[in-house]
Amino acid sequence: MTEILKVQGLRKAFGGVVVANGIDFSLSKGAMHCLIGPNGAGKSSFFRLLLGEHAPDAGTITFDGSDITGLRSFQRIRRGISVKFQVPGIFKALSVRQNLEVAFQDHLHGHSLSATIREMLDFTDLRAEEMTPAGILSHGQQQWLEIAMAVGVEPKLLLLDEPTAGMSPDETRKTGEMLHELNGRGITILAVEHDMAFVEQIAKRVTVLHFGSIFAEGTITEIIDHPGVQEIYLGTADV
Amino acid sequence: MTLNTTDTVPRSRARRLFSRLEGPQTMGSGPAFWTVAALVLGVAAAYPLIADAWTVGNAAYFLIWTFMAMGLGVVWGYAGALSFGQTAFFGLAGYAYGVITINLGTAYGLTIVALLLSVAIGGLFALVIGYFMFYGRIQGVFIGIVTLSVTLVLETFMAQTAGPQWRIGEARLNGFNGMSGMPPLTLPWFGGDIVLYPGPPLYYLLLGLVVICYLGLRILLNSPFGNVLVAIRENPHRVGMLGYDVRLYQMLAFGIGGAFAALSGALYTAWGQYITPSSMGLTSAALPIVWVAVGGRRDITATLIGTLVVLAGFQTLTIYGSQYALVVMGALLLVTVLAAPQGLIVGAMTLLGRLFQRSKT
Amino acid sequence: MALFQSVFGMLYQFGDTFAFLVISCAGLAVIFGMMGVINLAHGEFIMCGAYVTASAARAGLPLPLAILTGALVAGLVGMLVERLVIRHLYHRPLDSIIATWGISLIATQGVLIVLGSTMQGVGTPLGSIDVGGRSYSLYRLVLMACALGLLGGLYVLFYHSRFGVIARATIQKPQMAHALGVNTGRMYGLTFGLGAALAGLAGGLYAPTMTMVPTMGSTFMVESFVTVVVGGADIFVGAAPAAAILALIKAGLTAWYGQLFGQIGLLVTVILVIRILPGGLSGWLKGTTR
Repeated sequence: MTEILKVQGLRKAFGGVVVANGIDFSLSKGAMHCLIGPNGAGKSSFFRLLLGEHAPDAGTITFDGSDITGLRSFQRIRRGISVKFQVPGIFKALSVRQNLEVAFQDHLHGHSLSATIREMLDFTDLRAEEMTPAGILSHGQQQWLEIAMAVGVEPKLLLLDEPTAGMSPDETRKTGEMLHELNGRGITILAVEHDMAFVEQIAKRVTVLHFGSIFAEGTITEIIDHPGVQEIYLGTADV
Repeated sequence: MTLNTTDTVPRSRARRLFSRLEGPQTMGSGPAFWTVAALVLGVAAAYPLIADAWTVGNAAYFLIWTFMAMGLGVVWGYAGALSFGQTAFFGLAGYAYGVITINLGTAYGLTIVALLLSVAIGGLFALVIGYFMFYGRIQGVFIGIVTLSVTLVLETFMAQTAGPQWRIGEARLNGFNGMSGMPPLTLPWFGGDIVLYPGPPLYYLLLGLVVICYLGLRILLNSPFGNVLVAIRENPHRVGMLGYDVRLYQMLAFGIGGAFAALSGALYTAWGQYITPSSMGLTSAALPIVWVAVGGRRDITATLIGTLVVLAGFQTLTIYGSQYALVVMGALLLVTVLAAPQGLIVGAMTLLGRLFQRSKT
Repeated sequence: MALFQSVFGMLYQFGDTFAFLVISCAGLAVIFGMMGVINLAHGEFIMCGAYVTASAARAGLPLPLAILTGALVAGLVGMLVERLVIRHLYHRPLDSIIATWGISLIATQGVLIVLGSTMQGVGTPLGSIDVGGRSYSLYRLVLMACALGLLGGLYVLFYHSRFGVIARATIQKPQMAHALGVNTGRMYGLTFGLGAALAGLAGGLYAPTMTMVPTMGSTFMVESFVTVVVGGADIFVGAAPAAAILALIKAGLTAWYGQLFGQIGLLVTVILVIRILPGGLSGWLKGTTR
């Protein structure tokens, strides 16, 4: 199986706080993978390092066969990484359609642009809201809009930071279905998630981060049964 | 067959270009809007027929400032970077026009070349300043401070250039008193050049330029480039995470705004045949902010109308003394910010649009 | 002797510029650092302080008292402005700059209309001293001492007084401070008033050395902005060392190439600093010590 993402010895510290302590991590093409860990485990920092928002102190990030460690965020995005943030990162004053235009216009033009926008409006069930300012959509709809913005031009890797935060159970389930459909189209997905039910719904494999290092990795059942994982989550270590 | 395709491709491209005259980034669309716009343009074109030469020259003076205002509208209203120093590019281009024309003269349409060169110099200077600011990740209020400092230092610099040693070729910079004696714009024409002193011919030239720039900006702002600009205004971080180099877009928008200010500056110098350091001073720098804020910065049409209305009002007030006019300007700015942050013209246009919608349904 | 003379000359030049930068930027830096508001009417508060000082001094008040009166009046005007205008714009920092610019226009032109284009000033007191055949103004040496005193006073105020603790808490965690019973509105008012009073103090201190014109505030604008930009948001970590560095650059360039290059040097420094250190000196210094 070919690797789409390979992280080696990634290290980052802010003063005395080590947020990434030599992370080795790899993701194979077509995977749907979840990243979990208690608060402060370094999940968000790991994402920021992958996106180039922080420069690592040491280590390399290889994406799709080439070293992207020294690239700026926008250059990484152009290589086919896409991201959806925890707080919806949309353009609130602009219409839903304009949000999608900005997301796709760099790659698509004319008829293919309109076609993709139409397809994404259907995919996210936002057809009726096409001309609505994005800021007045419901929270769930804003999340979907951002997912649509992230996947419309078919990235190779989609990073999701708590995609279901603040969603109703119904919206969460629908989001899971969306992600399965996207994964079926060949998009590799890496998600940070808290909701274990949702993790079970989407991920085949799970990685646990703890204190900036990989603590465990395996299938969802292996992770749930892993005694160490229970300890770090429940704080029962050494009791 | 081949002839047919080569014929339709440029036509569809032109159609797409013109379709961008309307879009989400600009208010006003549909036949009603364009009919009103054409009527206004018609009245403006007929104006020299009913007014005397002095009044027409004065109207030309108003038109000169609209370029700087529209440029600031792009930088501030659309790209979200509040520049206080547009007068730096205005003044630099004004001096450049003076230096070039005094040295080269007016033959062969060289004044037009000088105008274009001055705009290029002002625009390039803006790009350089923009590079340092945006690539240095300067944001928000700091952009205002840096740009204001630039224009104030330029003013100080120019005010200190008194004395014969401060000359560029034939042109003396003349310190605080400013530079004068440069020729007005001159169009080469069969049987003798047309010298564009303030009056109907200059008025028509400026009116044409305003129309071209206004329509050009509408197209630009509704294009993908404009889409990215407003997106940066709303959420720069997300724009970067969609794969755009935000700094590049901001720098380009700043360069465009600077070039427009430079166009105003060069035209102003050609119109009045003088330029002084105080054109880059604190009071001068405040005026574009007043025009654009009062009119409404987020719409190019509102910016244009607002600028002309405020300029006309300002001049009426100046009859009672320019210091009174400036007090009123300051008060107007304060009231707009506190009571109608969107701008007065934008408010009025939104209201009109709503009334129009209601009467239609 | 010649060496001593030129060293003293350089030091004097440096001290003079340093004092000017510190005194003129203190008010701007306090308001910006504590409230995030760039006060474009800063120069007009300086003008206000200078005018009140000159009037009071000519009315017979001793100069130090006249200067304090100037600072006090500017501070009260500042609190009024905060109550009427700034308070409504805390969530719109760009708009608050524009509003203060409106105030600046009104103040400059209003003073021009009411008091005319110039006002009689007060002479520079204290005379001069002679060092190696060249004379130096004694009052400017006093100003240098004032600049150091001002920095010391502000340090005590913000780090060792109840007001300072509450003010910093209010700025960092407004909701928390509010929940703890701090009257945040009043804190903002007092902080803005303090900034305005410091501007007034600058005006008062420099009143004896300047011509009294309504636009005199703009003389201070570039230097104080530049210092705040280079320094970053924190006045002690940022503005004071920034003033020292800028004074060094400006004094050096002025000594060798003249006034003009001194000012251009400042601008170039600013542009280079913002390119290299986006958070200003204070952002950089804090970043390395953390």
